[in-house]
Amino acid sequence: MFQNTKCECGHQNPVGTVLCESCGKPLDEALLKDEKALLEMRYDGVARRSQKANPHFVDRIWNFFSSVKIAVYLIVITLIGASLGTILQQESTLINLTERSEFAAYYKEQHGTFGVIYHALGLSRTYESWWFIGLLVMIGTSLVVCSLDRVLPLYRALSKQQIRKHMQFINRQHVVYSGELTEDKQAWLDRFAKELKRKHYRVLQEDGALLGEKNRFSRWGPYINHIGLIVFLLAVLGRSIPAWHMDQYLTLYEGETRQIPGTNYYIKNDKFTLDYYSEEELANNQKGTKVVKLYETKARLYECTDACNDLTQEPVLKEVKQHDIRVNSALTYDGLKIYQNSYMEKVRFISVHPTLKDVAGGSDIGSFDLRMDQPEAEYKLGDYTLKLIDYYPDFGLDEQTRPMTKSRDPNNPAFVFRITGPDVQDKGELHIYFAMPSEKSKYYESILNESFKQRGDSSGRFSIQVENPIVDGKMNNIEYSAFTTYLNIRMDKAMPYVWVGAAISMIGLIMGFYWQHRRIWVRIDGDSLSLGGHTNKNTYGLRADVAGALGKTGIAVDPKTLDNRRNVR
Amino acid sequence: MGRYRKPIQYAILAVVILIGGFAIGNSLFSKSVVLAKGDKPPIFRLVDLNSQVHDMTDYEGQPLIINFWGTFCPPCRNEMPALQHQYDKWKDRGLKLIGINLSEDRLTVQSFIRQIGVDFPILLDKDKQTERKYGLKQYPTTFFIAPSGEIQEVVIGGVLTEEEIEQRIERLIQSKS
Repeated sequence: MFQNTKCECGHQNPVGTVLCESCGKPLDEALLKDEKALLEMRYDGVARRSQKANPHFVDRIWNFFSSVKIAVYLIVITLIGASLGTILQQESTLINLTERSEFAAYYKEQHGTFGVIYHALGLSRTYESWWFIGLLVMIGTSLVVCSLDRVLPLYRALSKQQIRKHMQFINRQHVVYSGELTEDKQAWLDRFAKELKRKHYRVLQEDGALLGEKNRFSRWGPYINHIGLIVFLLAVLGRSIPAWHMDQYLTLYEGETRQIPGTNYYIKNDKFTLDYYSEEELANNQKGTKVVKLYETKARLYECTDACNDLTQEPVLKEVKQHDIRVNSALTYDGLKIYQNSYMEKVRFISVHPTLKDVAGGSDIGSFDLRMDQPEAEYKLGDYTLKLIDYYPDFGLDEQTRPMTKSRDPNNPAFVFRITGPDVQDKGELHIYFAMPSEKSKYYESILNESFKQRGDSSGRFSIQVENPIVDGKMNNIEYSAFTTYLNIRMDKAMPYVWVGAAISMIGLIMGFYWQHRRIWVRIDGDSLSLGGHTNKNTYGLRADVAGALGKTGIAVDPKTLDNRRNVR
Repeated sequence: MGRYRKPIQYAILAVVILIGGFAIGNSLFSKSVVLAKGDKPPIFRLVDLNSQVHDMTDYEGQPLIINFWGTFCPPCRNEMPALQHQYDKWKDRGLKLIGINLSEDRLTVQSFIRQIGVDFPILLDKDKQTERKYGLKQYPTTFFIAPSGEIQEVVIGGVLTEEEIEQRIERLIQSKS
């Protein structure tokens, strides 16, 4: 049960070591006997894991995740899973739907039976699904375990290398030279060392033995790459922290200010512009069609400075940023990014500027601003006061023909005023005013005002109307919004860490790919010179190095003859 | 790694289970907004017609009916009198009833309430924020909340008759907190 792991060179090796950590002698009997077979130099033959008869269950989990084969399977399965998510539009892009039943109906409608299956399997939300996240967690674990399992033994092995290696170690490398040396040992070694140093090798010498090493740092490349990937995955996970991630939509008509939910910020749409290319600007095959040139929202961002949580007061806002939001040109402030997403062409009343007239006396009493959203309750015009006692944004009649509003949008606003003044009856006069200049509205207006008169609530002497509604072909005394804009509000505090992870990963890849770790061992026993070389990639280059160095010291060899692999093939 | 091998393995396993469990659990149990029996209603904090602030916590431990309504919604208007009658009948038995208006103008709400003669608290939602929190798709929607703080019933749409309201109130009063 207990193997004797003490090497003939005197070094005590941990159980499971393949090549002696010190002199490189193959420890396994069978390996020792097979003199021609090339040595397995992975991790320099150091014991990677403890081999126990009954692995603890933590060891079993560890061994599962430290296997590269398992990691490859995980990556392939994740790749296939991710590609399935690209077949149909994902749920996260359907911003108007929120419920499972709504999504199910959508996929059934758009894609038939395939859509139903796709949605039922959870593929419509592939990248948020538990199995996909689970795969990413497993890949992350595999990254950590694989790296730890290999980098620590490797570091140990490379740090305590002995210079004089066992003959079998040297003669069973991939790059091998053996020959006779007639001249002075030390002088030749010194000349060889000089040649290697010219090629930027770090050279260590011991009595009759030499080790030249170059670019050891490149071995750490893959591990730095893994660290970068782990940082990347953790940063991606960080997006699920609510304070770090926001992706919501806000609709604003022109002139509207709304609070961005979940923040202390308010955004205002000053104006939305939709521009088309003129005929001259269009390509020949597009002439006659309408091609959009510009979607732009002139937006203003405000921050609440006072009375922010006080529901009885209006919040005090301070403007912090102004930006003309165009497609891909977002308003950015304090981590918030506000993008132009969509629009709707829809006319919406904002306010009117009507005049109160005394019809009987034939004079204008005064004019005032009347808002469609949260209109003021009182308007003072000289001696007269108009008090708003009823407001219907979208006037209509219910089943009992009583006035009501059909919706919350000011599609057909109607205002009921009580007018008081010096020569008006004590209880005041009622007057209803319709802002929309449509025939039906004017009809309602006259009918209802007539009924007030019948009831004795009005003398019929007042009238309210907008003076000069159209001047030079443009709307006058009427403010309205022509467009409603859809803005996408995003925040992604995890992005800097994602970039950092990606950068570290790139550095690791460059380290690993563009340099190779090369080592050359030489030992001279009496008259015979033995040389062995090892590299993790680009053996061709190593052979060229060795042949070049040997050649400069007087031993001419063809690089191809150095290739030991031919002997075994 | 030597003798720290075991502790390190346990530590890594613990971290993986914590972070992985959080990540997977997050996606497995992501809540949909639709509120159903047994759910806890989202908190609200709104002002009423008398400029008093009402908080969800004001109604803790009491049977509560929340009626989301608007003057633009005929069934909402039609069931108001029934709600008012039932409120008069049961308020001395501890029933609390609030009507949350769907982000309409204060004036519009005030004049309608005056016409019907409602005296239970009417709260004014702002910018559709509360109705979105409650995941409303149809109006009216009425939530019957037990004294324990959980939703006992959600009635979506339709005109509630006095009998229907009364049955549900009885169930509410009976369930202990």
